[in-house]
Amino acid sequence: MSAARALAGSLPFAGLRVVELCDTPAGEQLGKLVADLGGEVVKVEPPGGVASRRHGPFRTGPDGVPTEESLAFVAYNSSKRSVVLDDGEAGRALRDRLVAGADVLLTTGSPRELAAAGLDLDALVEQHERLVVVSTSPFGLTGPWKDYLTSDLVGLAAGGPLASCGYDDHSIPPILPGGGQAFQTAASFGYCGLLLALIEREQSGRGQLVDVSMHEANAVSGELANPYWFYPKAIVQRQTCRHAQPVPTQPALFQCADDVWVYFALILAEQRSWKALVAWMDEVGLADDLGDPAYDDLAHRQANFPHVQEMLDVFFMLQTSEDAYSEGQRRGLPIGPLRAFEDLPHDEHLVARSFFVDVADDDGTVTTLPGLPYRFSAFAAEPGPAPRLGADQGLVTA
Amino acid sequence: MEQQLDPRSPARRSGLLSGIRVADFCWMGVGSVATRMLADFGAEVIKIEDRTRLDMPRRLPIYKGDLRSYGEEDPNPDPNKGGLFNNYCRNKLGVTINMRTPEGKELCERLIASSSVVTENFAPGVMERWGLTYDTVKEIRPDVIMARMSGYGHDGPHSGHKSYGPVIQAVCGLSFNSGLAGREPSGWGLSYMDNQAAYYNSAALLLAIYHRMLTGEGGEIDVSAVEVGINLLGPDLLDTLVNQRPSRRADFPRGNRLEFEGAAPHGVYPASGADEWVAVAVFDDRAWESLVEVLGSPDWATDPNLATVAGRVARQDDLDAHLSQWTKNFDKHDLMHRLQAAGVPAGAVQNSRDLAEVDAQIAHRGTFFELDHPVIGPALFEGNPMSFSRTEQHNWRSAPLLGEDNDYVFGELLGLSADERADLTDRGAI
Repeated sequence: MSAARALAGSLPFAGLRVVELCDTPAGEQLGKLVADLGGEVVKVEPPGGVASRRHGPFRTGPDGVPTEESLAFVAYNSSKRSVVLDDGEAGRALRDRLVAGADVLLTTGSPRELAAAGLDLDALVEQHERLVVVSTSPFGLTGPWKDYLTSDLVGLAAGGPLASCGYDDHSIPPILPGGGQAFQTAASFGYCGLLLALIEREQSGRGQLVDVSMHEANAVSGELANPYWFYPKAIVQRQTCRHAQPVPTQPALFQCADDVWVYFALILAEQRSWKALVAWMDEVGLADDLGDPAYDDLAHRQANFPHVQEMLDVFFMLQTSEDAYSEGQRRGLPIGPLRAFEDLPHDEHLVARSFFVDVADDDGTVTTLPGLPYRFSAFAAEPGPAPRLGADQGLVTA
Repeated sequence: MEQQLDPRSPARRSGLLSGIRVADFCWMGVGSVATRMLADFGAEVIKIEDRTRLDMPRRLPIYKGDLRSYGEEDPNPDPNKGGLFNNYCRNKLGVTINMRTPEGKELCERLIASSSVVTENFAPGVMERWGLTYDTVKEIRPDVIMARMSGYGHDGPHSGHKSYGPVIQAVCGLSFNSGLAGREPSGWGLSYMDNQAAYYNSAALLLAIYHRMLTGEGGEIDVSAVEVGINLLGPDLLDTLVNQRPSRRADFPRGNRLEFEGAAPHGVYPASGADEWVAVAVFDDRAWESLVEVLGSPDWATDPNLATVAGRVARQDDLDAHLSQWTKNFDKHDLMHRLQAAGVPAGAVQNSRDLAEVDAQIAHRGTFFELDHPVIGPALFEGNPMSFSRTEQHNWRSAPLLGEDNDYVFGELLGLSADERADLTDRGAI
C-alpha cells in the first residue's frame, strides 16, 4: 500500500498498483501525485539509487553536517515504495514480473533509452490487456527529435516559455525560471493523461499507451505567446517579471521599505483601479498632483506616465511589503509580495488553511512538506515519507 | 434532396467523457483552460455567459491580422472576434443567461439538474450570492461534482484577495525563485500559474469523475492556485523548510546556473541574429568531451583542469565567455542539431513562430491543429501533448459564438418551446 496517510474517505488510487521506472521529475512528480492519493507506487531503482538521490540539497544532520539524504529525492518521491534491481537478466525478469502484476507503468526514457533497457511499451500494452503505460519522455516516442537529450533548461528553451522570461535589458539572455518547471509541466499532462486512461479502462476494461512529450507540453503552455503568433502574427518580447508582449509595457515590480519587492500591474485604462490607487496615496499624503481631475482622462495618464511611475516608486518605498499587500488588497487592487521560501510557513492564510504538513519518517525524522495541491470533500490525505533505497525489497523477492 | 448539415450544430459527441454534461460558469484563463480538457475528450461542456458582462478573453484584442496591445482594446469589441477566447473555449457549447433575473436563475437550476458537474472560478462569494453552493446544488443533483477554482481557496483570511497569474506567482514563491542574484527577480514573463492551476484543476475534475465511477459519490473540489504553485517549488523549498537555509541570500536566485546538479557549461548563449539564443546543458564528462570535439578542440577547452565536473564548475565564467564567442557565429537551430547529434543536450530558444513554422517535431506530432470559425476563419489551436493508443481527442468545433447554442441547450436539452424561449429573451433572462 501507499505510505500516504488517509485522513477521510476512500482514496481514489487505493488498491492501484503502479511501477515507476523514472529518472526525471517529469515522471517522479507524476508518481508522487498518485502515491499521495493512495496508489502503491513501487519505484524501481538501480543499485546506488536514481539520479535524484545523488544531488543535493542534502538534509543537514543534527550536528549541522549534511547527511546523504537528498531533499531533491524527498521532494519528488513522497509516499512511494522503493526496490533495487540491477540491469542483468535476473533483475529484468523481476522487473517484468512487477509490471505484469501492475495496473500502471510510468516511464521517462526516450525511445533509445527504453530500447536499451529492454522495454517495448507497445508490446507491454498488447501483452497485458488492462495495463496503462504513461511515458513522459523528453520529446515524445515518435518524430525526428524523439531521441534528443533534454534538461529543464533545454526543455523550456526548445518548448518556448524561456523566450518570454528574463529582463527588459535584452543584452541579458533569457533567464531560467526556477524549480524544474519544464519537467513539472510535463508531469501535469502525464497526470491528466493517466487519469483519462484510467477512466477509459473503467469503461472498456482496456489499458493503453499514453505518450506524453515534455517538449509539446511546454509548447502549448506559453499562454499569450502562441495566440499572439496564431492571430496577429506577433512575437512577444520578454520583460522583467511581467507579461511578455509585442510592445514594451511599464514596470510592475516595486521595492518596499523592507527590501521586499511587490508585483503590481497598474492597468492605466482601468478607471476604478486608478481611483482606488489615488485615494490610497492621498490618504497617506503621497498623491501629490495625481488627484488633479486632469488625470481622470486616460490620455493624460498615459502622457504623464513617467511621473506616475516615479510617484509609485516613492509610495511603495515608504511602506513595508506586508502593509502594501494587505492595504492594496483591501482596496481591491491586485498586489502581491514576492515571497521568499522562508516567508511561506508564516503566511497567515496558509497557516489558517493548515497547508504545510509535518511528515515523520520511521526513525522519527520530521520533514515539513507542502500539503496536497487540491482539496476534496469526498476524501483527504497527507503525504507520507519518501522511501529509503531498497526499503521495500520484499516486494520483489517474496 | 439531402439536407445539408450545419457543421457547427451540436452533434452527438464522441470520446470517453461523452456521457458527461458540465454546467460551466468558468471564465478568464484558469477556469476556461481547465474545462477545455473535459471538452476536448467529449464532455458536453456548456459555457454559461452573461451578454452584459463579456468574458475578458472575448474582449482582449488578440485579433487575426490586426496587431494591438492590451492598451488598445476596442471599447465596443465584437465578442466573436477574440482569438484568446477561441483558443480557450474550443469544443464547448455556449449559452447566455442573466443570473440577475429570477427567470435566469431558474433556468440555471434546470441546467444544473441535467448536468452532473458544475465548475466555476469566480471570486469567492459570487456563487453564494446566487444560492449555488455545494449544499444547494447537491439538493438538485445528489451525485454532483462541484469544482471551485480560485487564487487562494475558499476559506482562510485571504480567500477574498484579488488574484491573477502574476500575483499568484509572487505570493507562492515562483517569482522570487527566478532571476540573477543581486538584482530584482526576473520572475515569469507569462501567467505560468494560469496554466498550472488550470492543469491541476483538470486533474482534480478527472480525479473526482474517476472517484464517482468507482464509488457513485460526488463531492466538492476546492483548488487554491497559490497552493498548487507551492507544490511546484521543488527541492529549493525543502532546502529552506528542512535545512533552515534562507532563500533571501546573496547568491540566490542563480540565473541560468544550477547549484546542485554539477552542470557546466550550463546557460543560454547568443546565436547569430538579434536577440537569438541557444541553451546548452553539460551534465557529465562524456557530454563535455563531445562538446569539445564539436568546438574543434581549441586550446582553452582541452585544459585538463576542465576534464572533471568540479573543474568545470569552478571555471564557469571562463567557459561561458569562450562558448559565447563560438555560439554567436551560428544559427540557433543549426547549433541545436549539431550539438544534439554529438550527444550534447542543447535547445534553440524558440519563439512561437519557430514552434509553428520551424519545429519539425511539433509538425510531426501534430501538436497544433486547425479549426474554422465563422467570424475569425481558420485558426491554429494548441493541442494536448498526450498521444493515446486508444482514447481520442474529439475536436468538433471552434469556440462558440456568444449565445450560439441557446436554442439547442434550452430547447432540445431542457425542453423549452420556441415561445417560452422567446419570452425569456424578451424578459432579458437569456
